[in-house]
Amino acid sequence: MLGAILVKITFASTLFSVILYFFNFRKHSDELLKYARQFYYIAVSGFLIISGMMLYFILTHQFQYYYVWAYSSTDLPLPLLVSTFYAGQEGSFMLWALYTSIIGLFLIRYSSKKGYETELMLVYTTILSFLLLMLLVKNPFKFIWEQFPDELYHVGPVPPDVLNYAWIDKARALWATIPVEGKGLNPLLQNYWMAIHPQILFIGFTAMSIPFAYAVAAMLKRDYVSWIRVAAPWTIFGALALGSGIIIGGYWAYETLGWGGYWGWDPVENSSLVPWLVCVASIHTMLAQRKNGTYIKTNFVLSLLCFILVLYSTFLTRSGVLGDTSVHSFVDPGMWVYWLLLMLILIFAVIGFGLFAARWKEMPVVPVEHTFVSREFALFLGASALVISSIFILIGTSSPIITSILKGKTSAVDISYYITTTLPLGVIIALLSGIGQLLWWKRSDGKTLLHQLILPSMLALLLTLTAVFMGAHHPAMIIFIFAASIGLFANLIVGARIIKGNPKMAGGAITHIGIALMFLGFVSSEKYDSKETLNLEEGKTVNALGYSLKYIGYKPLERGRFAFNVEVEKNGKKFIVAPVMFEGESEGSVIRNPDIINLGTKDFYLSPLALEAQDEHSSSNEVTLMEKESVEKDGMKIEYLGYKFSQSAETGNFIQAQLKVTQNGKTEILTPTLTNNAGKFSFTEAKLKNSNVGISIKILKPGNESEGKSSITISLSGIPASVETEKAPQRDVLVVEASIKPFINLVWIGTFSLMIGFVITIVRRAKESLRFAEKWK
Amino acid sequence: MKGKIIVAGIVIVAALIFGMVSFVESNIEYVDFSKAEHIAKKVQVKGKWNKDKESVFNAEKSQFSFYMVDDNNRECKVVLDGAKPNNFELATEIVVKGKLQDGYFHASEILTKCPSKYEGDGEAVKKTI
Repeated sequence: MLGAILVKITFASTLFSVILYFFNFRKHSDELLKYARQFYYIAVSGFLIISGMMLYFILTHQFQYYYVWAYSSTDLPLPLLVSTFYAGQEGSFMLWALYTSIIGLFLIRYSSKKGYETELMLVYTTILSFLLLMLLVKNPFKFIWEQFPDELYHVGPVPPDVLNYAWIDKARALWATIPVEGKGLNPLLQNYWMAIHPQILFIGFTAMSIPFAYAVAAMLKRDYVSWIRVAAPWTIFGALALGSGIIIGGYWAYETLGWGGYWGWDPVENSSLVPWLVCVASIHTMLAQRKNGTYIKTNFVLSLLCFILVLYSTFLTRSGVLGDTSVHSFVDPGMWVYWLLLMLILIFAVIGFGLFAARWKEMPVVPVEHTFVSREFALFLGASALVISSIFILIGTSSPIITSILKGKTSAVDISYYITTTLPLGVIIALLSGIGQLLWWKRSDGKTLLHQLILPSMLALLLTLTAVFMGAHHPAMIIFIFAASIGLFANLIVGARIIKGNPKMAGGAITHIGIALMFLGFVSSEKYDSKETLNLEEGKTVNALGYSLKYIGYKPLERGRFAFNVEVEKNGKKFIVAPVMFEGESEGSVIRNPDIINLGTKDFYLSPLALEAQDEHSSSNEVTLMEKESVEKDGMKIEYLGYKFSQSAETGNFIQAQLKVTQNGKTEILTPTLTNNAGKFSFTEAKLKNSNVGISIKILKPGNESEGKSSITISLSGIPASVETEKAPQRDVLVVEASIKPFINLVWIGTFSLMIGFVITIVRRAKESLRFAEKWK
Repeated sequence: MKGKIIVAGIVIVAALIFGMVSFVESNIEYVDFSKAEHIAKKVQVKGKWNKDKESVFNAEKSQFSFYMVDDNNRECKVVLDGAKPNNFELATEIVVKGKLQDGYFHASEILTKCPSKYEGDGEAVKKTI
């Protein structure tokens, strides 16, 4: 009850803040601004209290709340227990709203210095109130008996053995049972990444609303030029936060899901990549505008799109509209949520683009003065390539919706679609990221450019040839590697020069070095990885991919998990890889986590598939043969010639199989027999001369006209130890998929470099915009 | 200036045509087993796992095979490249992507739809009382 009331109070104070900012926008007064801020502070406190309450209920296992029951349980360790806060729809919206409200505090401080507070916060508080609307529609503090009245409501006296109950209406003797245990967190989410990834992703989502808010605020203020200086640090912050969220999600998938990759072109991944690409494109066009005033309209459109695409992403992944086409597919959350999410997109699109259309004619048109060989043109092309790739990905991700509208049937695109469409754009982006850094503003000399390109091209050629020598052979990949190498070396050269001069300006070069490294890492680790499925019998060494592997047994971990230790050896160096398997929430469902050894130049990736008990009866000592068929086994060639059948009163049915066995050049005919005397079976083994090897019949199918030839299953005994190895019955076999991911570290180093570059640039732009604001006053 | 716009326009149009062609080519149609038989392209079929019939993991080939019933109640054997998916038992519905050839559906990818993710049902709460 209290929780739901607090949500309403928080909503009301956010709404008051919106209204007061609005009146202050119509007619400025310090008084109004003061109250608008105060209501905002009340709203932030409200969010903190609501979130604190939810966290308290989770930590104290108050299963009378549906949300707590649905996502947590008493056996979770503390970090995971905390992370159940955002395991569900309501909680994740709460987290999103919480971060939005907190970041708003920084925005007030920052924007008030630049005369932007009223307009900016008007838009921002509107966004916040719509996020809150989600919590009003789906109350996170719903009691569990409201969700399950049929199961939990009771009338009459409470039985003495029921300890966990709550009175609903004492006068009418209406009470409800409270569960003593929660349903728990989805086992796939039960690892420490769950504590980090969603948090950063939601900060990224929040950050994406800031460029939108600035763009709308600028249009309200009719400031079409200087707003980008104020907004730029926040736009880059958005790229940093959302980018980190995406990357961490990829690393999570790589490290725990076991399919061996970090990017699966799944709608959930794609739909957060799309706004990121648009955001990155807007960083580039903002840079062009700040240099010579062009791309004014482009910057508005891209900044508005950042947030609208985040809303679209939320709609795609939360509304159930993707249905069966996504791995992350969520079950339909109900009509209310669906329409609210759709409404959010429409409302903010109308606000943003409606205002844009109204201001269209006022916006100054600055003629583009640069030539084809200029940094501006490179920026424009680069931004276009980013936007086009985001459109391709958006169309692919939306294909279930597009096809259901066009054809009435939903269908998704194959992953190959994303690769064919983005690869050529990737080449362009990589090349431009190198060439762009070598160009001057306005006008560059073609000859100078070519001259400057000589060194990076030579180095890139050298690296590409090395890659070809190491096994890269697809023409498209070779081109991609070459383009990425040019991007890498050009930025290394430029970056080194800048760092010598003024390291604070090196953000761009460092970011682009990161991108180039990531591109190279993508090719090597995804396209040129090697994979093999292996059956590792306990204690037995198996050679694969240049390593020798030996399964040495399992050991139990906490919470019913098992680590399966595999000893891996190469060139005398030994290490233990321990993938994990455990039973999931329902019987028989197995959760598998791989284990990875980082070897510097590559990852050794071991993904468990199954553990099979090697029992005697189905052991490899058995062979099934069709008539006239032969098999090579344990140094013998065995051919099944046929069988003889006879019947007699004393012995019953008597079957004698005829097998031609060739060993060490000598051929013998063996005749193991099977008798069936009134249902009592007996088997006689036939032994090879001068050897312990014996063969007996296990199953014999006589064969007839309809079934065709007869077949026999025989079992062999007494195989010499050297052939059979030290095999004992009942040995477990661990089935694994081993793979080598060459140079995957490039991807991770690249992402670090990308993020560091962003941070350097944020600091630089934030300082610049402060200086600019002072000058402006 | 005009020249640049034309060049940019041509590039964008070419890119969009290229995207459209790839989109149509790589679109995986949703069909049932009866239709899948006649399509040589990769398709996807939605249905339910028949738990009464055997489901086996073949360690040598690294393939998991099971029987699936599509929405029209037609049953077909499915052979998946890889191990049994993590949430397979929990799935209320499954979607297999691949080709139907030689009497069985050769799946390269499988999607599972799990009921437990966002909404609970009445049976689940009974277990925890």
